[in-house]
Amino acid sequence: MSENMPTENTLSAKPRLFKSSWAKFILLMGIVGPGLITANIDNDAGGIATYSMAGAATGYRLLWLLLPITFALILVQEMSARMGIVSGKGLADLVREKFGLRITFYTLILLIIADLGNTMAEFAGIASAGEIFGISKFISVPICSIFVWLLITKGDYKIVERVFLLGCTVYIAYVITGVINQPDWQEIGSALVHPDIKNISSKDMPIIVGLIGTSITPWMQFYIQSAVVEKGIEVKHLWHSKIDVIVGCLSMAIVTLFIIICCAATLHQNGIMIETAKDAAIALEPLAGKYSSVLFGIGLFNASIFSAALLPLATSYYVCEGMGWESGVDKSFKEAPNFFTIFTALILVSAILILIPNINLFNILIWSQVINGILIPVILLYIINLCNDPDIMGEYTNSMAYNFVCYAIVLLMLTANIAMMYFEFSK
Amino acid sequence: MSLFTDIPDINLHFSSLMRIKIYYDDGAYIGKLSDVFVDYEEMYPLVIAIQYKKNNQQFYIAWNEIVEFSLQRVIVLRTARIGRSRTFPKLHQQRLLTGQLADQFKGEMIEYPALGKVILDRQIVDIFGKKVVRVNDIEFIKTGKYLRVTHAAVGLRSMFRRLGYEKAIDIFVKTFRPNANYLKKEQLINWKFVHAIPDKSVQDNVRLGITNEEIQKLHPADLADILEELDGRSRELLFSNLDPELAAATLSEIDVDMQAELLKNEAPEEVAKIIENLGTDEAADLLYELEDSKINEIISKIKDSEIQEEIQELLEYDEDTAGGLMSTEVFEISPENKKSDVLKIIQDQYEEIENIYDIFVVDNEGHLIGTTSLAKLLMQKEDVTVSQIMRSSDLKFLSPDASWKEVAYFMSKYNLINVPILDETQVLLGIVSVDDILPWILDE
Repeated sequence: MSENMPTENTLSAKPRLFKSSWAKFILLMGIVGPGLITANIDNDAGGIATYSMAGAATGYRLLWLLLPITFALILVQEMSARMGIVSGKGLADLVREKFGLRITFYTLILLIIADLGNTMAEFAGIASAGEIFGISKFISVPICSIFVWLLITKGDYKIVERVFLLGCTVYIAYVITGVINQPDWQEIGSALVHPDIKNISSKDMPIIVGLIGTSITPWMQFYIQSAVVEKGIEVKHLWHSKIDVIVGCLSMAIVTLFIIICCAATLHQNGIMIETAKDAAIALEPLAGKYSSVLFGIGLFNASIFSAALLPLATSYYVCEGMGWESGVDKSFKEAPNFFTIFTALILVSAILILIPNINLFNILIWSQVINGILIPVILLYIINLCNDPDIMGEYTNSMAYNFVCYAIVLLMLTANIAMMYFEFSK
Repeated sequence: MSLFTDIPDINLHFSSLMRIKIYYDDGAYIGKLSDVFVDYEEMYPLVIAIQYKKNNQQFYIAWNEIVEFSLQRVIVLRTARIGRSRTFPKLHQQRLLTGQLADQFKGEMIEYPALGKVILDRQIVDIFGKKVVRVNDIEFIKTGKYLRVTHAAVGLRSMFRRLGYEKAIDIFVKTFRPNANYLKKEQLINWKFVHAIPDKSVQDNVRLGITNEEIQKLHPADLADILEELDGRSRELLFSNLDPELAAATLSEIDVDMQAELLKNEAPEEVAKIIENLGTDEAADLLYELEDSKINEIISKIKDSEIQEEIQELLEYDEDTAGGLMSTEVFEISPENKKSDVLKIIQDQYEEIENIYDIFVVDNEGHLIGTTSLAKLLMQKEDVTVSQIMRSSDLKFLSPDASWKEVAYFMSKYNLINVPILDETQVLLGIVSVDDILPWILDE
C-alpha cells in the first residue's frame, strides 16, 4: 500500500469546503438552538390543521391538555438531546447498536410509513394553500413535488432556512389576532389548569390523540438528537441544551395556545366546523380582514413546502444511519442508491396519493398525526431504555423519578390511543 | 475426535451461532449462547470463550471446556468453570498485531469485551474499501477444533440473514435473476482490514488494542472522508490516535468547521505538534476558530520558535484581511542571486514555500525591491542575476489590513497568482496566493 502513504508536502493541501449539505444545514439551524428549531418545525401543516380543528370543534374545552403535553414534550426532548450530547450518536444509530438489526429494521419500516403519512400531510397542506388562491391541486402538487426534489438534491439550504423562518411569521399573526380578539383571559386561564374530563366525548378522541401526535412526533426525536450531535455540544453544556429545549417547547405551546384561542373565538363561537383550509383561515379575520385567507394561505404554504423537503430527507437519513447505508445529498445515486430511492419514493408516493380524486385533504392532515400518535409510545420506550444504559449514558442516566414520570407518559399516550381506537371501531 | 458435529460448511456465521442451547455433558441445561469472546490481539482472532445470559446476567465458559459443538447444541464439561461477568479475563501476551497500547499490559490480566458487543451492528472502518460501514454479521472459519474470525459481513444478504429472510429472498432472486451477483458473492471485509472503533465505555473500562495499525497507512484524503462519516466521539477517538504528521495532513483535507471541533478536545501539546506540521497560514486559520485562552497555550507549546513567531504575527491580523490570509512562507531572493542560485534555493526549500510561480526580491532589511516569475527566470542565460530581470517599478502589493474582497479584486484586475503584502516601510510580510482567497469567494 506504499502508494497510499501520506504525501510529504501538506502545504498545498487546502481545506475542502463542502461536507454534506445536510450536516451544514443542521449546523446552520443549530446556531439558533436545536430545541427551538425542532419545536418550530413541529408546527407544520398537520400541526396547524390539528390545532385549528381543536379550537373550532371544542373551543377552550381541551386547552388543559396543553400543559401535560408540553411537560411531556420537554421531558422527551430533553432525553433525546441529552442522549445526543453524551453519546455523540444519532437515535437510529443507538437503537441499532443496542437492540440489533431486527428491531431496528421493523421500527424504521414503521417510521417510513408514518413519515409517508406526514409527507402526504405536507403535500395536502400545499394543495389546501393552493386552493385558497384558486389553484388546482393537480397543478400545485406536481410542480411543488418537483420543486421539493430539486431543493433537496441541488438546493441551497440558506434559502430553505429563510423560507422556513418566513413561514413561521404566520404564527405571530395568530398571537396578535388572539390579543386583538380580547378574549376572556380568565376563562382561558381557568380552562388551562382545570381538566374538563367529564365532557369528553368519543368525538374528541381523534382530536386528543391528534394533539398529542402532532406535538410529540417520532421523527422529531430523531431530528433533535442528530441536530445536537451535529452541533457537537459538549457534555459540560448540558444545561444550556436543557434550557434550549424548554424554551423551544414553551414557544411551541404558546403558538398552539393562540391558534386554538383564535379558532375558538371565531369559528367555535359561530358554530363553524372546519371543512377546508378556507374555513381555518377565518380565524385570522380579526387581524387581516378580507386578506385573512391570503395570510393563512401563505403561512400554510411555506410551512408545508419546507417540511415537505425536510421530512423525506430526514427520514432517508435516519433509515440509512440505522441500516448502515451510505447517505448524503453530495453523493451520487450510484454511491448512495438507498438514500436517494427512499426520499424520492417518499415524495413521489405522497404526491400521487394526494392527487387521487375525491380525497378530503383536511382529513389526511389529521389522520397522519394519529398514525404518529400510535408509533410514538414505541419510540419513547426505546429512548427510556437507552437513557438508562450506563454503557451509553455513563453517569447521565435517568433518575428513578424521571423514569417513573416517563413511563407514566408512555402509559397515558397508550391509553389515549387505545381509547381512540375503541371509540372509532365501536361506532 | 472432532469437536464440531453436523456442521458441513467450513464457514460459520455469528447469526447462526446465536441462541444455540448449551448443556452439561450429563444433559443438564445451562442456557443459550448469546455472544463469543475472541483474542483481539490476533490477525484472525481465535474464539476463546462463549457467553450466555441468564436472568439478565452474563456468564462465560472457556472454549476448551466445550466437548461438542453443533448448530443444535453445545455440550460442555460438567466440571467447567463458569464465570459471571460481562467480560472475559485474559492473560495478555504479545502476539502478532500488537499496538503500543497492548504492550502496557504485558503479563497482566485484561478484561475482553464480547465480540458481538463491540463489532456487531456497529460502525467500523473498512481500511481496504476506505469507508465507514455497519457490520451485519461476522464470519468464522473452522480450524481444527477451534473457530477463527475471518470476515465482517456488510451487504444486503447478511442483512436478510439476520432478519431471517435469507431463504425466502434467495428463492425469490433465483426465480427472477438466477445469475444475480447477490447470490454469488457476499459483501465481506477481510478481518485484517477491519478497524473497530472502541466505544466510550469499552475504551474506558477495558482499554484494548483493537485499533488497527493499518489505518496509519491510509491517504490523508481518504482518512478525512472516513472521519467526516463517523459520529463525533468516534471521530475524536480515531483522530487522537493518528501521529502528528498524518493528523496535520488529514486536518487540511477536512471541512473547516470540523477542524476546530477535532482540536477542541486535544491536549495543547498535541495540537502544537499538529500545528507545526501545517503551513503557517493554515495553522493561523485553524487557531482563529479556537478559544483565545487555548490559542496562547497552544502557541506556547510550539517547539520550533520560528514557526511560533510567524503564527503569532499572523494571528495579530483579522482573519478576513490580507494579513490573516497571507502565508509567511515566501519565496524570497536577494537581487544578486544568479539563476543557478535560485534553482538551488528551490531545491533546498521546496517543501517550505507556498508556491514558486513568483519570485520576490528583497534587500537585506527585507524590503521588497522587485518581482519576477520563475518562468521568466528559466528563459534566461545561466549567469544572469535576478536584479537584471526583475521588475522594480510599479510593484503590485497590498497592505495587511486590506479586506479579502479588495485582495480578490486586486488579483483579478492585475491577473496575479500571488499578491505580496507589505507593511508601511515596504517590508515584505507575506503573500496571499489565489488558493487562499478562493474559499472566501466560493463561500460568498
